Amino acid sequence: MAMTVEAAKCTNCGKVSYPMHFYCPACRGTKFEPVPVEGEGKLITWTRVYALPLDYAVLYTTLGIVELDMGVRATGQLDITEPKTGQRVRAHIGKVREINGKDVTGLVFTAV
Amino acid sequence: MRDVAIIGVGSTQFGRAQWSLLKMMCEASHDAIVDAGIGEKKIDAVYVANMGSARNNRMAGLSSALVDRLNLYPHTVSETIENGPASGASAIKHGLHSVASGFCDLVLVCGGERMQEVNNFEATEFVSYLSHRYAEYVYGVTLPSLAGMFTRLYMERYGLKPEHLAMVAIKNHANGAKNRKAHLRIPITMEGILTGPDALNNNPWIAEPLRFFDCCPVSDGASAVLLAPAEMAKQFKKTPVRIAGMGQATDSQAVQDRPDPTELTAVRMAAERAFAMAKLAPKDIHVAELHDAFTILEIAESEECGFFKKGEGHKALERGETKIGGKLPINPSGGLKSRGHPVGNTGVSQIVELVLQLRGEAGDYQVPNQPQHGFAVNFGGFGNNVVATVLKRGV
Repeated sequence: MAMTVEAAKCTNCGKVSYPMHFYCPACRGTKFEPVPVEGEGKLITWTRVYALPLDYAVLYTTLGIVELDMGVRATGQLDITEPKTGQRVRAHIGKVREINGKDVTGLVFTAV
Repeated sequence: MRDVAIIGVGSTQFGRAQWSLLKMMCEASHDAIVDAGIGEKKIDAVYVANMGSARNNRMAGLSSALVDRLNLYPHTVSETIENGPASGASAIKHGLHSVASGFCDLVLVCGGERMQEVNNFEATEFVSYLSHRYAEYVYGVTLPSLAGMFTRLYMERYGLKPEHLAMVAIKNHANGAKNRKAHLRIPITMEGILTGPDALNNNPWIAEPLRFFDCCPVSDGASAVLLAPAEMAKQFKKTPVRIAGMGQATDSQAVQDRPDPTELTAVRMAAERAFAMAKLAPKDIHVAELHDAFTILEIAESEECGFFKKGEGHKALERGETKIGGKLPINPSGGLKSRGHPVGNTGVSQIVELVLQLRGEAGDYQVPNQPQHGFAVNFGGFGNNVVATVLKRGV
C-alpha cells in the first residue's frame, strides 16, 4: 500500500509540479526527484457527489481541490462534515477507492 | 483551400434507442443522403464520431462497419474519431480539412453513441475515464463532480444563485419540448424543481451545488451531415450552409492545474480561432448551440465565447436574451440538457440543429427573422478539448 502521493521536483530548476508532466512546466527539464504531497493548505472548492462511478459502496463522497502551502494544488477526498471554501486543511494518506478488488490509496484532507 | 458547405443533415430520435448503434447511424446517414439528394454521386469519405463503442457496445473500428452497412466499399476512405465528448465536432473538422484540401469531394460525417446499453454506474464510470488517471480518477472524480466544484467557485465569484442554474434548465426544457427528436420533452418550472414543496425531492443533489435538473441525461442517438465543396453545393436540393470557421484548443487534463479554475481557456481560444477564420465576431451570431452538459456550462461558455462579459451571462439569461425570440437564442433545440447527450455524437447533432435553423427548417423551435450566422461549442473532458464552429447560411 503506497503511503505517499508523489509530486515531481525538477532536478534542473527545482520547480515542484503535481501531477507530473513529462516536461517540467518551468524549464522543460525531463529529470525529477519525487517529493511527497503533504502538509497544510487552503480548500479552493469542493463538492459532495451522490452519483458515483463503480467501486463505491457508499451514499456519497466529498471531493475538493486544495492549494497546498508546499506550492502545488491537489484534488482529493475530504473527511470533513461541513466543508467551507477557504478553510485550512491538512493532507493525509488513506484509502480512496477499490479498483479490481485492490485498495487504492491517495490524498484525504481533514480540517485543521 | 476550397470553401466547404453542408449539403445534407439527418438525425435519429434521441433517448433510449430502439435500434442498435449501427442501425441508428445508418438511419441518420440515410436521412442526410436523402436530404441532400446526391443521387448516384459517390461518397468519397466517411468520418465517424464515437467515444465508447469498444467499451459499451463491444464494437471497434466503427467507421469500417458503417461503410459496410451503407455499401460504400471498397472505394471509400473512412475512420473513426474519438475525442471524448468533442468527437462530433472533431469529425466534422476532419471532413472540413478533407474537402477544403481537395483530398475528397463528398464526405459523410456520422456521430453515434449508444450509452444505455450499460447501466448508469457503468456510464458514469466510462465518462470519468476523461479525468486525470492519478490526480483525479482514483479519487472517484466524475464529470459531474468537476462541474460541481467549478459551479461552486463560479457562484461565489460572480453571485450566481441556484435560480440562475434552474433558469437554464427551464429554458432548454421548454425549447426541447418543441423538438420532436429531443430526449426529454418535459417542460419544467421553477416551482417544480427548486421552490415548491416537493421540488427538492424531484431534484436531488448529484454533485453539490448541482442537482439532477442541472445535468444532461444519458442518451442514445445518431446524427449525420454531408459535406461538399461550396462550388458544388448548389447542385443539391437544399439551401447550403457554409462552414465559415472552426477553431480548437486543448487545456490541461487535470482541472486543478489551471491557474484560474473558473476560466475555460480552451473554450475562449477555440471560439476566437473560429471567429477569426470566419472573419466574423460574436455580435454577428444569430443563434448558438452551446455544450450545456451542466447548466453552469451554458452560462460560462456564453461568456468565454464573447457573447457576454465575464460574470454577466446569468444577467442576460435573467433578461430573457437567450430564449427563442431573444437577442441571442442559445440552445433552441433544447441543448444537451433536453435534446440529450449521446457523448460522441453531440458535436454532430449541434451542427445538424444549426443547419436546420439557418435553412429556416426548425419548425416549432425556429428562431425568428431568418438567422444567417450560427455558432456551436462542443466541449470535451471538463473543458480540456474544445471545438468551436461558425456556420453561414448560403455559399
